[in-house]
This record gives sequence, structure tokens and C-alpha cells, in this order.
Amino acid sequence: MRVGLRLTPASVAPLGPAETRLRADPEYAPGRMRKPRSSRSFGAVASDLVIETSGLTKRYGDALVAVDTLDLRVRRGEVYGFLGPNGAGKTTTLRMLLGLVRPTSGGATVLGAAPGSPEGLARIGALVEAPAFYPYLSGRDNLRVLASHARVAEERVDAVLEEVRLSDRAGDRFATYSLGMKQRLGVAAALLKDPELLILDEPTNGLDPAGMAEMREFMRSLGEGDRTLVLSSHLMGEVEEVSDRVGVIRDGALIAEGTVAELRGRAGLRLRAEPIAEAARLVATLPGVDAVTTAAGLIEVDVDTSRAPSINRTLVEAGIAVAELYPEQTSLEDVFLELTA
Amino acid sequence: MTAELLILRKRAATWVLLGIWTLLGVFFAYVVPYALDPEDQTGGVEQFFPESLAGTLISGFPFFGGVFALMLGVFAFGSEYGWGTLKTLFTQRPSRWRVVATKLAALGIVLVPFVLTLFAAGAVSSYVIAQIEHAPVHWPSAWLIVRAMGAGWLILAVWAALGVLLGVLTRGTSLAIGVGILYGLVIEGLLSAFADSVSLLQPLTEVFLRANGYSIAAALGASVDSIESSGPGSYSGPLVGGLQGVAVLVVFTAALAALAGLVLNRRDVT
Repeated sequence: MRVGLRLTPASVAPLGPAETRLRADPEYAPGRMRKPRSSRSFGAVASDLVIETSGLTKRYGDALVAVDTLDLRVRRGEVYGFLGPNGAGKTTTLRMLLGLVRPTSGGATVLGAAPGSPEGLARIGALVEAPAFYPYLSGRDNLRVLASHARVAEERVDAVLEEVRLSDRAGDRFATYSLGMKQRLGVAAALLKDPELLILDEPTNGLDPAGMAEMREFMRSLGEGDRTLVLSSHLMGEVEEVSDRVGVIRDGALIAEGTVAELRGRAGLRLRAEPIAEAARLVATLPGVDAVTTAAGLIEVDVDTSRAPSINRTLVEAGIAVAELYPEQTSLEDVFLELTA
Repeated sequence: MTAELLILRKRAATWVLLGIWTLLGVFFAYVVPYALDPEDQTGGVEQFFPESLAGTLISGFPFFGGVFALMLGVFAFGSEYGWGTLKTLFTQRPSRWRVVATKLAALGIVLVPFVLTLFAAGAVSSYVIAQIEHAPVHWPSAWLIVRAMGAGWLILAVWAALGVLLGVLTRGTSLAIGVGILYGLVIEGLLSAFADSVSLLQPLTEVFLRANGYSIAAALGASVDSIESSGPGSYSGPLVGGLQGVAVLVVFTAALAALAGLVLNRRDVT
């Protein structure tokens, strides 16, 4: 996947530095990139841990280990992406964190309380898998039921309906809602308690592209401020766009964890030039270049992307025709596929 | 509690069951037997008069009413599994025990109109029949009516509690209703029928829901002959004292509800 700024030639003719023009890839326009929030601290202080699991394990019989000695730490205020293929154990983990499923061994604390305890649940909002409501009740009545159980003022019901833009259909029966509306009602229910911790499990499941885009936009806003958001998904795009840190789970075990940037690794440069062998040889001698490989007429350069102009200048001055020079970033999807293959 | 009552109140099944229960209750207690041949009935035409209101109506509760209450109990919890709403409820603030207790209490409240409407409809029916027969209208004492209503509620409650447990155990509605009716008709019915000839069965049948329900009904004036000849719900097994009947049903109601609560509390919600 190509990311960020791409240097493109106007033609196949070699370009000098002055002739190179920058083109912002609209897919990755800066305005859409997630900015780190100043209020966050990623220093791992114990009291800052919203979720902490220790050897969390769930077995079903002798054969199936759904979650295997999972040690997970989610810090206050971060958006934690929980990635894994279908059946990896994401939902089982979240169910254990909510007290819906009891672990076979190991333990967890959520907001300093035992999973499923009233003290913890009072501060957690969750949407686990498909939103589940009474089909014959209206969206508003469904939320009133939950507000009553959660001991939340009824005024919150209309507030969260407004927040998820469901006010117009709030009086209609849940059974008549589209999938997107059901998901939004699920998010509204999760927001009822104005929770410190929001757990969303596959919130874009079953949505059409427009609905997914809308939900992603919404999730970005949910993660603002001091609220902690745990987002479980097998869709890389949505996790990559909104998460501060990501944990990858496979076969019930956490196999990688870090910021999106850490997981993706350092960006390198891709270069298309003629003659390719001479270009590769010359680039390899340049300072800061760690490795150069050629494949399919393309030179891959392991180097800080800020060195692109000097590399371009050197090649052009050496009489090498530079057709393309652009930074290349490994996508989270590539990382995920590599990790979970 | 308000929320749980809203769930039950807005559910069509609650009103459908209430309507059918009331209509069929009056139909089989008054309309059909009176229309067929009132004098040929075991209690004579007097059983249709207001003075026999308590006994005539209460004899329909132990099995016929039980089936309706069973369905209500199954729907109250079994449907939650079908809709997946338990996970939604259990991730709100209260503990599972509190959620279950609230739902059970709401179910108990919903049984009240089932008793009241049948007694109201029965009162109207008996009054109309008394007018048709030009018989004097003598209402039973208020105390008897209150006791009969209380007993009716208790009989419905024990079956509803059985429905709750079956709904929870089977995590659904269809199988739970099937098993519940099978239990009432086949297991209790057949074993009670054999109790006369197999003496070993008698102590067992004396703790059955139908035996104790009919015992309460008999204590409140229901004719034993009519209990023995009331179609599929008829009961010819041994009867116990009314107070013992109440005690057994109270224990059963509490035990079944507690067991259902225990299962719900211990079991994973997936």
C-alpha cells in the first residue's frame, strides 16, 4: 500500500529534483489522519490501566481453547484496536471482560473491579457482536429499559438517540430497523451510561460501505477525550484509522501488540529507474541506506523517507532516469496477514 | 421493575394469552357445560351461579391455567435467549441476581390480571346464568373470593416458575413449552392415574403440582367430581389438605425460581 506523499513523474522521462512535483494522495489526506491526543499518557502506570488481564484462559472442553493465557493491558484514554481473524478469541475475551463468560483460569480487572461486577459495569458501555434488543419495543423503549436497569436518568435516552442520529425513528419498533440503524442503536445503548470504557465488538459488521464509513467517523469521535475505547474487529481499515495501539490475537493468544506505527514498521522508498542495476548499486552506497533489494523492476530501499530528494538528485546527476520515487509503508493488513498466516 | 413491566406489557403474547385464557376459561367453566345440559353436570345448575364462583373458577387453574402460566414463564426468559437480550441486560449495572429477581417479580405481577380478569368474566357469566335461570344472586363472601384469587395466583405462579426454569434450561421457548406440557399431561397425569393401583407412587404424586393445585381448589369449593371429569386436565389422583397444597406450591415456586436464578447466574452468556 502506498501512503503519504508520492513523487510522480509527468512522463516517463527522467526528472530532476526541481521538476518533481508532489501529489497528496487524497486517500491519506492529513486532515483524515488520526492525531495523537495531548491528554493521553502512554506511560504504563498501574493505576492508568483500565483493563488488565493475567493468564486469562477460556477452554470449552478439552479440545477447544478459545482464549489462551492472555495478558492484555489497555491504558486509560487510548483507543485500543483488538485485531484477529474470525474465531481468534476476540469476542470471547470481550465477553470475559464484561463478565458474560467466566474464565477457565486466569483473571482480569476492568476499571479496577472484577468483570461483571456492578461497580465496573456502571462505568462500561458495550456492544458485543450483533446488537440485541426487544424486537417489539421501539428504539426509545429499548433504551428506557436499559436506562432503568443501569439507573441512568431517562433524559440520557433522548440524548444518545440524538447522538447516533436515531431520534427520527426512535418511536419505531426495533424489528423494523435496518442493520445500520440497529448498529447505531447498539452504540446508543453502549453510550447510555456515558461510560469511561467503551467496548465495541465488530461495530461495522453487516454494514454497507456508506454505513461503515459513517460508523468509522462516529468511532473516531467516540475515542476523543479521556474515554477509553476498545475496538474489536477483523477489518484492518477501521482499526488502523482510529486506534492508538493494536493487539493482534490468533488462536486465543496475543501475538503482537504496539502502536499502529510500531506494527507497520518504518516506511521505506520504492524506486523505478533505468538502468535498474546501476541505480541499485549507486543507491546502496548512499549514507543512511540500510538495504536495497530489486524485484519486478522495482528497487526497494530501506531508508528514512526524508532522504528521497537527495537520492533522487544523486541518481539524476549520475545520468540515471528516475521514473518513480515514492515512500512505501507496510499496511496494517500486510502485518496482520503475516502475523496470522 | 417499571422496565420489566414495560417489556411484558408491550409484548403481544402477554395480551393474546390473557385474552385466550379469559375466553376459554369462561367458555369451558360456564358456556359449554351450561349450554350442553346444566342439570346433567356433576354440580348441577347451581355450580354456574354466583355463589359457586370461587370453586367453579379455581378448578380451571391447576392444569388449564397452568399451561398459560407455563407459556408466560417460558416467554419471559426463554425469549431472552432467542433475542440475545440477556447479554444486553447483563452488561448494564445491576448484578445478574438483581436482573433475574426483577424479571421474576414483574412476571408475578403480570399474573395478577390473569386472575382478576377470569374472576371478573366468571362473575359476569354466573350473574347472567342466574338471571336466565331466575335464580337469586348470592355472591360468595369476599374472604372466599380473596382466598380463591390468592390460590389462583399461587397455582399460576408455580407453573410460571416451572416455565421460567424450562426456558432457562433449554435457552428457548418451543422445547420448553413442549417439555412443560409433557410433564403436566404425561408424567404427572399418568403417574397420578396409576397411584391408586401402585401404592409406591402415592407419596410421589402427593407432591405433584396438579395434586396440590387441585387440592387447593377442592378446599375452596371445587367439586371433586368436576375435577375428575374435566377433560385433558382432569385429575383423579390423591388429594391432600388445602394448607399442605399451599405450602408445597410455595416451596415449589421458590425452589424453581431459585434454581432458574442459579443457572442464569452461573452460566456463561454466549
